[in-house]
Amino acid sequence: MGLKFAKFIRKIETEVVVARDSFQVEAADRGKLSEEFVKKSAVLYITEEFGKKNALREGEIVKVTRGGRSVNLRVVYNDTAPSEGAMMPNSIYANYLTDFDSFKRFRVTIEIADGNVTTPSEIIELIKSG
Amino acid sequence: MICTGCSCLCDDIVVDGGVRNACRRGAGIFRFVNEGRAKPMINGEVVDFEKAMDAAGDIIGNSEKLAVYGLDTTTVEAQQKAIELAKTKEAYIDDNSSFCLGDFVELILKEELPTTTLDEVRNNAYVVFYWGTDVYHSLSRHMSRFTYYPRGGKRQRGYEEDRFLVVVDVRRSHTAKLAKKNARFIEVGDDLELIDAILKVLDGKAPEKFAKDAVRIVKEMQKADFNVIIGGLGLKYGLKGDYQQFLEFVRRVNEVTNLYFIPAGCHPNMRGFNQLLFEKTGHVNRYSFRDEEAGEKFAFPKLLEDGEIDAALIVGTDPVNSLPFDIAKKLKDIKTILIDPRQSLTAEIADVVLPSAISGLETGGTMIRIDGVKVELAPFLEKKPDDVSIISSLLEAV
Amino acid sequence: MPITPMEVYKLLPKTNCRKCGEPTCMSFAFKVINREKNIEECTPLFEDDRYSRQRDELLKLLEPLKEATETGLIVTEDLCVGCANCIVVCPVHAAEDPYGSAAGSGPKIEDPIFRLEDGVLKVINMTKCRRYGKNRILCVACRENCPSDAIRFLEG
Repeated sequence: MGLKFAKFIRKIETEVVVARDSFQVEAADRGKLSEEFVKKSAVLYITEEFGKKNALREGEIVKVTRGGRSVNLRVVYNDTAPSEGAMMPNSIYANYLTDFDSFKRFRVTIEIADGNVTTPSEIIELIKSG
Repeated sequence: MICTGCSCLCDDIVVDGGVRNACRRGAGIFRFVNEGRAKPMINGEVVDFEKAMDAAGDIIGNSEKLAVYGLDTTTVEAQQKAIELAKTKEAYIDDNSSFCLGDFVELILKEELPTTTLDEVRNNAYVVFYWGTDVYHSLSRHMSRFTYYPRGGKRQRGYEEDRFLVVVDVRRSHTAKLAKKNARFIEVGDDLELIDAILKVLDGKAPEKFAKDAVRIVKEMQKADFNVIIGGLGLKYGLKGDYQQFLEFVRRVNEVTNLYFIPAGCHPNMRGFNQLLFEKTGHVNRYSFRDEEAGEKFAFPKLLEDGEIDAALIVGTDPVNSLPFDIAKKLKDIKTILIDPRQSLTAEIADVVLPSAISGLETGGTMIRIDGVKVELAPFLEKKPDDVSIISSLLEAV
Repeated sequence: MPITPMEVYKLLPKTNCRKCGEPTCMSFAFKVINREKNIEECTPLFEDDRYSRQRDELLKLLEPLKEATETGLIVTEDLCVGCANCIVVCPVHAAEDPYGSAAGSGPKIEDPIFRLEDGVLKVINMTKCRRYGKNRILCVACRENCPSDAIRFLEG
């Protein structure tokens, strides 16, 4: 019960840095609607230490929100992430959250989510529907 | 062969069954040349190429406020045609550099920021800064080909003795991890604080922050007559628009030693576009042929945001992936033509998609490396139409 | 993860029976890691059922030896972005390929120790490596300049 309860109240506010990732760019070149691109892009990189401190486990799906917009991303531990905060590859996911005032560094809230990661098509549908 | 994967434009690629000497990203461009290719489309339906061309011609013909945008992954020859088209249509023209490293290129072309070539860096540089850029991922061979690791000219003894590496970043990136012996990694929260600290050291004062690092860096730079900053987007956004402070810092360092600057841009031919437009208009990007001036308000994202355009010709870039959502969604309010070799996310919403040959692999031409060096491409396949022929046809139709 | 001789030793029979030709099990452990001896040369380990659990554990422990090259080098291609730092820093390349890898280009010699193929590091000719053979030097220049741990050595 305790755990379940914690799941609902756990909301972390932190900073995200947008960065390049060679593996993700390689996947982008092969096709941005591919599974590989989603796997390498719909990712929130954090250090293991930051994860442990904030009870974010590797592989978990998190809802990352900024200014009323959210994407679901998978948590992946990476020792090149900022020590306090998170890192996202440059892609439609990061750009769904950002604006030019804080293009490559912005504050978000992170909470545990159910289900799967957001797909590029879901964001594109939002563009199409205006 | 030349790899057009990034602004390094590596010239030692061998394609012979496999791909030799290219990095992961670069090799992928050759290996998966046929994957994810665009198809001619109108409103999401696959059509004949000719039909798509006609539809594109109509959009451009009917547009009263056209923007031409992208162009950083195509050749100088195609950029030339695009500029001609924009001029004929009294259109706006812009590339990614307006929110990437265009400001730095402009300062270089206006000779406000001293620069050099990567070959000179290889032969001469002692202190090499990577500032706000994780080149291990974005320009993977940059350090091994040009800056820290290779031997050349006056720097024959290898990185451990003949170079001093400084990595400045907000996180301990893979590039930062390489700062070991004869090197410093400086983790910044605010880049201006580091600049301020170095300026204080030059004034003979003790800085409050980064005191030890700033003193060491100044001392190391004074050991040689050639030092270089490779600056990326982290530096651009870290400066928060305060280029004057950065220029002052470079100027002051240059009073005691030599310090040059080269941008760490990713797009293979961003510099080509900037230089070409600069030659023709005196500006590197966000230019309005109607107003005959450049300015923030003519930046493609700003034009979209302000509803100032009715159509866009987008060449070799993917704004749906790379622009902030609030701006990207406005693409739906205008007519869009996309010329791209690959099926991008923008292709999903574009009114017309025109597939083209991949510059460097399937079609030749010229690109300008990020340091201003001209590179002739050497395609290993032949494919038509390419960006030059497509834009030329659209130009004729106007 | 590097394998230490102590880890191997702990799983050997520790009887110093000399059937492998070595004076002690510890020296045998060293030679197994350096691939001068095969683990199969410890015959009691394979013949005596008492050691079956240790044997299984040991074979699992030594699994990376198979993927490692003669010098103990292990390349994990999935981690490699093809930066070529390793190729350019290599002191053998610096000496033998002055106009190629020493100067930052792709190797111009026919048989470099390694080069980039299909975007990742591939071992071409390990015999050139300073770690190869009897008079080896435990050079780690390539590993030291690989920030993503795509290069490892068995000994750490």
